[in-house]
Amino acid sequence: MSLATDFKRGIWKENAVFKLLLGLCPVLAVTTSAENGLGMGLATTFVLVCSNAVVALFRHLIPAKVRIPCFILIIASFVTVVQLAMEAYAYDLFLALGIFIPLIVCNCLILGRAEAFASKHPVSHAVADGLGMGAGFTLVLFVLGGIRELIGAGAFLGFSVFGAGYQPVLLMILPPGAFITLGLLLALMNKVEKR
Amino acid sequence: MNEFPRLLIALTLIAVIAGAILATVESVTREPIAEQRRLQMLRALSAVLPAFDNSPDSDTLTITTGSDRQGREVETIFYRGRNEEQLVGTAFRVMAPDGYSGNIAVMVGIRPDHSVHAIEILTHAETPGLGDKISAPWYKALFIDKTLEGSDWRVKKDGGEFDQLTGATISARAVVGAVRTGLELYREHEDKIIAQGDNP
Repeated sequence: MSLATDFKRGIWKENAVFKLLLGLCPVLAVTTSAENGLGMGLATTFVLVCSNAVVALFRHLIPAKVRIPCFILIIASFVTVVQLAMEAYAYDLFLALGIFIPLIVCNCLILGRAEAFASKHPVSHAVADGLGMGAGFTLVLFVLGGIRELIGAGAFLGFSVFGAGYQPVLLMILPPGAFITLGLLLALMNKVEKR
Repeated sequence: MNEFPRLLIALTLIAVIAGAILATVESVTREPIAEQRRLQMLRALSAVLPAFDNSPDSDTLTITTGSDRQGREVETIFYRGRNEEQLVGTAFRVMAPDGYSGNIAVMVGIRPDHSVHAIEILTHAETPGLGDKISAPWYKALFIDKTLEGSDWRVKKDGGEFDQLTGATISARAVVGAVRTGLELYREHEDKIIAQGDNP
């Protein structure tokens, strides 16, 4: 399989959220605005690509029996690096995403890709897979955040869209809005696929 | 069973490498992070104090102002803003323990005449879209110029004069309570804050 196939697979055919339903905790929790979704998606993508690369690099050295703790250690290290770097050099983004950054560790998408793909493939393919999966994940978070922000706050990326007279549907910003939007999007996806 | 040492070595090795990398990153980012936090503190101080020409984050006074539920002492750091050596305002952090989700940290700036110059919400975890309106500029502006006697320190729903936020009365109530606590704290410790100010 070519690198391009590995990359494209994550965006649609095996999209982490829409097809595999992985990593739903951050998907539902941080998508209150398009900007938060985008920031979280990019941070997750970075961790995913790095951990995929390292796991693929050491795939012959990590004993099968302790592979899960090894993967988690690698992932947790990258998450901590991201957190420290963000706090030092992108403080505003850190304040916006602060409590969700450590949660990237327990995003099962990352562990899932390390286990299912990176530990069985060479580094280049693992990186392509990480980029693709990350792009697919970021896309979903951005779309979901955009829809919820648009309906729930009448804005997009912080800019008012419907004007001051718009009465925001607060439900969309609250947790139920995340479930409802995701459910409707999944139904739409399935409809499109069936056709 | 002979596999065991191999597992042990592999896992230990990875943990050691991860630890070494993290230690390096931590030591590189330690100073920028401390600087960012100091800048954020200064930004908050500039937002709540009248124009000052000293550095309030080094002109401080720490007073034990009470105890929390576990009986531990709570210390409040008073930051004094001065202009041409004259005290123009005092800023300090008040914790509102009764937010809708967790504590709300409020920075209040109080002028020597016991009125609020401005407030700033430092940290909170209130509901996005509802309770997080407490950090909106129009909401924080409600407290400007208010004094302990001059206002009824309750939200309108409770018979006071401060707007509650639709769907987030609890958050608004917590902030109003915190600012009032701030004014009371200032009154209680004013002599110490000013006395030390005369001979810095």
